[in-house]
Amino acid sequence: MMELRTHSERTFQWVNGVFFILLCFSMIAPILHLLAVSLSSTVYANSRLVVLWPKGFQVSVYETLFGMREMWKGMGVSVYITLMGTFLCLVFTSSLAYSLTRPQMPCRRIITRLILFTFIFSVPLIPSYLVVKSLGMINSLWSLIIPGALGAYNVFIMKTFFQGISSELIDAMKIDGSGEFGVYARLVLPLSAPVLATIALFHSVGTWNAYFGALIYIRDKSLFPLQLLLKNLISSSSADNGLDAIGIHSGVTTSPETLKAAAILFTTVPILIVYPFLQRYFVKGAMLGSLKE
Amino acid sequence: MFRKGKITDAWVLLLIASPGLAHFLIFKYIPLAGNLIAFQDYNLFSGLLHSKWVGLKHFKFMFEYPEFAMVLWNSIRFGLYSILFGFPAPLILALLLNEIRLSWFKRTSQTLLYLPHFLSWVIVGGIFTELLAEKGLVNQILAKFGDAPVSFLTEPRYFLGIVISLGIWKEVGWSMIIYLAAMTGINPNLYEAAMVDGASRFRRIWHITLPSLLPAIIMLLLLRIGHLLDANVEQLLFFLNPLVRDVGEVFDTYVYRVGLTGGQYSYTTAIGIFKSLIGIILVVSLNKLSRKTTGDSIY
Repeated sequence: MMELRTHSERTFQWVNGVFFILLCFSMIAPILHLLAVSLSSTVYANSRLVVLWPKGFQVSVYETLFGMREMWKGMGVSVYITLMGTFLCLVFTSSLAYSLTRPQMPCRRIITRLILFTFIFSVPLIPSYLVVKSLGMINSLWSLIIPGALGAYNVFIMKTFFQGISSELIDAMKIDGSGEFGVYARLVLPLSAPVLATIALFHSVGTWNAYFGALIYIRDKSLFPLQLLLKNLISSSSADNGLDAIGIHSGVTTSPETLKAAAILFTTVPILIVYPFLQRYFVKGAMLGSLKE
Repeated sequence: MFRKGKITDAWVLLLIASPGLAHFLIFKYIPLAGNLIAFQDYNLFSGLLHSKWVGLKHFKFMFEYPEFAMVLWNSIRFGLYSILFGFPAPLILALLLNEIRLSWFKRTSQTLLYLPHFLSWVIVGGIFTELLAEKGLVNQILAKFGDAPVSFLTEPRYFLGIVISLGIWKEVGWSMIIYLAAMTGINPNLYEAAMVDGASRFRRIWHITLPSLLPAIIMLLLLRIGHLLDANVEQLLFFLNPLVRDVGEVFDTYVYRVGLTGGQYSYTTAIGIFKSLIGIILVVSLNKLSRKTTGDSIY
């Protein structure tokens, strides 16, 4: 650009660039710090002088961590509720969104409005808890899967996408003798891979990261998802209490600092692995939701 | 024949929609009706149908109880500060990022800025409670400059600052996407014309970029204000402790703690109703105001 030549322009570009470098660094520095702490030997980690590079390199904390059956169990619970929840989310959301795009659907407008209403006003906590309780879902993993499986926001994203599918195609299929279910299952769903993938990603990250549901609905420690185990480990004042809180009594002698750091990374890794590949989808999804209100 | 086909289609569509409709009914609308327990002395064993109706008792109690004033004030302050600092942040960041010319640098920055959005509050909370602890890294660095350690996590005056800035740190990159998307839709001819007329960078942002983003800004602001008193429970529970409770307890954490774990279902449901009423009043009136002044509204 021609204006780059002026002096103040160049200064601005530099200041702005440095600002973004510092900001981006602040986004990854905490994770690098954790990695460094988890790989440092107990002495250095306890003196808390590790910044971004490990001191007294050692990996024994990971051996301890990988040896904890509770953590793997928690990982299993998290994977299970994430997969199951995402599957149900796609089924609920797509079927409702599809029906709402069809002109033949009875009471279409009023239902759409009623759904929009729940998007603007939040659902009360205590009555929701009582509903889940009366359905007998307390202390069952269903309480973490079903209540959150459907949300107005996702219905609207998917509905907008379905509306873009040409109605000529749908009509042609109906003339060939397909019913509404055939159109939904054999035409609309296969054509909607991008939006299904986006919603699936949003939902799975949301489920993977949540702990509040488990905090209020799950009593049994063997059913705790990873995030809740981690929270109990971190919030307790010392690692010994933390191990106690997540139900481990194996007399482990690891530094609390390195163990906490390693446990946090253990929970983050699945997200960090998928993140670079799926980032594009996330961004597309965020735009899909924002631009077509 | 045609008529008959139409009727069947309607039934099939209702059938397809039924799992979703049932879900909305059970998990969204029944809880709304469940708000009725605020007018009862709700008892778990008698349920909604057989608990004693007590009228506005819990609402009266609410206004007489000094703790309620504290929670109300905390919620308002927390909501206002989050909007004051949290709302402009992604907009400013998007404007600045938009000025970066090197496209690889821009893309890399974007990717890194989104990252914290995908970390859970347990992870973010875990990282920062470690960093800000009495013997944490931040205090170690302060000690190098000879400063006495600061108890960031237990000192009430730091609570709001820490919680709000962490919220911004986590979400600013993600919230910025909406503005970036809207910016790509702006006609580049407008900028060229403005440059030919000798408009400075600031004038171009002021007269072209911001007006183009205005509908998005207003819509997001309206939605945000409607949720003024809603707090992120997963975030706050992590940083709340008895020492900072006087500034940190807001409606949502209070309802969780006193209502759910303390078993005071009716009283805290009344508080929930009060909170929703304020939210509804805010949305409806601001929506009206916005439609009158700018022509934009959310419904």
